[in-house]
Amino acid sequence: MAEVAHAEVGHDDHHDHHEPSFWSKYVFSTDHKMIAMQYMFTGMAMALIGGFFAYVFRMQLAFPGASIPFWGTLSPAAYNSLVTNHGTIMIFWVAMPVLIAAMGNFLIPLMIGCDDMVFPRVNRLSYQIFLISAIVLIISFFVPGGGFGGAWTAYPPLSAKAQYNATPFGAPLWLIAVTLEIVAFLLGGINFITTVMNARAKGMRMYDIPIIVWMIVIASILFMCSVGPLIAGAVMLLFDQTLGTGFFDGAAGGDPVLWQHLFWFFGHPEVYVVLLPAMGIVGEITCTFARKKLFAYKLILYSTIGLGILSFFVWAHHQFISGVDPRAAYLFTTTTLLISIPVAIVLFAYIATLYGGSIRFTTAMLFALAFTGEFLLGGVTGIWLGSSGVDVYLHDTYFVLAHFHYTFVPIAIIATFAAVYYWYPKMFGRKMNETWGKIHFWGTTVSFNGIFIPLFILGAGGQHRRIYNFQHYPDLAGADMQDMRVFATLSLIVMLAFQVIFIVNFFVSLKRGEKAGNNPWKANTLEWVATSPAPHGNFGPVMPEVYRGPYEYSVEGREEDYWPQNEKPSDS
Amino acid sequence: MAGHKHPSYLKIYFILLALFVVSVAGPEIAEKLGLEGVSRTVLVLSTAFGIAIWKAYLVCAYFMHLKVEKIYAPYILLACLSLLLVFFFGTATDAMFSNGHNWVKSYSEEAAKEEAQSRSHGGHDDHGDGHSDGDHYGEDHHDEGDHDGDDHNKEEDKDSHEAH
Repeated sequence: MAEVAHAEVGHDDHHDHHEPSFWSKYVFSTDHKMIAMQYMFTGMAMALIGGFFAYVFRMQLAFPGASIPFWGTLSPAAYNSLVTNHGTIMIFWVAMPVLIAAMGNFLIPLMIGCDDMVFPRVNRLSYQIFLISAIVLIISFFVPGGGFGGAWTAYPPLSAKAQYNATPFGAPLWLIAVTLEIVAFLLGGINFITTVMNARAKGMRMYDIPIIVWMIVIASILFMCSVGPLIAGAVMLLFDQTLGTGFFDGAAGGDPVLWQHLFWFFGHPEVYVVLLPAMGIVGEITCTFARKKLFAYKLILYSTIGLGILSFFVWAHHQFISGVDPRAAYLFTTTTLLISIPVAIVLFAYIATLYGGSIRFTTAMLFALAFTGEFLLGGVTGIWLGSSGVDVYLHDTYFVLAHFHYTFVPIAIIATFAAVYYWYPKMFGRKMNETWGKIHFWGTTVSFNGIFIPLFILGAGGQHRRIYNFQHYPDLAGADMQDMRVFATLSLIVMLAFQVIFIVNFFVSLKRGEKAGNNPWKANTLEWVATSPAPHGNFGPVMPEVYRGPYEYSVEGREEDYWPQNEKPSDS
Repeated sequence: MAGHKHPSYLKIYFILLALFVVSVAGPEIAEKLGLEGVSRTVLVLSTAFGIAIWKAYLVCAYFMHLKVEKIYAPYILLACLSLLLVFFFGTATDAMFSNGHNWVKSYSEEAAKEEAQSRSHGGHDDHGDGHSDGDHYGEDHHDEGDHDGDDHNKEEDKDSHEAH
């Protein structure tokens, strides 16, 4: 394997003295950093679509029947389609590409000190398949009947028959897009695992690997082990939709609950697939800006592995009221409550890292701290929902919705912003504006809470998730409940408006940002050894060697409060 | 790595062929000898399934190169296999027994069958459409009736959309 990589890289080096054309540099590049950028920009473009969808259906819920600016009147079928595709896009086309693919591609080779991924062409293929999947999904919005409208979990019979979901062309296209997307990440994940296992810098032992790299690898393994059932299920569902088979059709001898098992056997580990890179990002940033050694590195690592194993034993907690065997509910309640322990260990280790540190409140650090706080809220409400008895009442209410947005928004939005502010200097050689960054931070986090705290209250009050117009339900149409809906929608608009600041800051800083040196944050890990932005091949002629762990901050007896991994011991 | 020698794939092929002969011969011999009971079970299972597992091992180890891979690669494969078992046993309670959805069986199936039979013999009033397949199919036809209505609405929607 290593031979393949070297042959590949050597081949590329050969062409280095040519100035690469636009196409080979930006579109068909095999450079891991360029592929990371492709993933990141595609993911962010998709985030704009997903955010716009959220705006449209929240407007409908707050002002039912009104004409929505930039959209018009929202029909019930379009409402279903928007809700479905908002969920799908945010998970499969935003959280996955940005957190796993972009961060994994950008950080893994830089952090373990190698020149590229071991399979650069597989890497390029992974992005190309991902791009096709995104295009297929976008096409599905414009076919007759519109985009798929059977909820992002695609439960049959709603998803299996066009007569129920009313999207005869959108539904198969949606399934094809999801399946292609999964193939793309399978290719990427194999690359990540192989690279970390085979191409580490000289001297980097298992416990010298930065925690984010560990977490991306564990997430890739989780993904690899869990997608099989979903791909099988997706093909079966596609056959049900298009060929008239009855895998999930009770009348034809199939079982709709089987789809739920196939979906959630993938879907629950998937939650941890996106959570782990986010926690890794937060760990790195917390440690750097607390100027303190990461608290309990090994415990975090072992907890993460335990979390990964446990995540395969909790899937049926999504199905407590779908007619699963109630004896299984005991088992899945127990494992669900158990899995909160490793997550809590990791978060508390981050909080313990802060204790006694000399904390620097940069924008990246603020986002990292916000992740820890907000994700705790999401996690704690998850314990309530994991108890099968409580879930009978709360299932399919806005309480569930608020719960998983309190986990996914910290993961996919807050941790991603933390990562972008933190690694932007390495990506583009300049820093983003800190003042505007802080304004963006406060605007985003405050309005995020403004959206979902009212939804917790509404959910506990019995507001069901999948309703187009609450005015049709007298119990849910009270003025106090409607006020909370309006408040949530206005908060969403504020949150979206603050993202404009981020986008402007991002693009203006490309040209005008303060020039960052190689190591603007005085961090230890290997990516800060490379020049900013890192060149093709990352480290130039001399590859770094590793002499110590990644978190040696504020070591006694040293003048500087950091100690890069590659600094020779005799230098000090 | 380039340093290692390729195993003789031809040799592995002939070993697999020999094992295949054994796995076919085993059950045949059990049949010819007219074995009964435990000895028959042991012979058939060990030659048919035991050899199959051995063959699978050889294929994975040599043709899929797991033997020369780093140790984590077979571990991942084993993890996936064990997850298959987790998924199977986690799902089996629901998917394999259609009556497993009711934890406490408060009815006897036989009695229910008898009741259904007596109903289908006794009164055709419940099934105006002439079906006597039982409630389940009755429901299904009801749904399809709805479906026609839905289609109709959809076409209306489309029309109004075009009018815009």
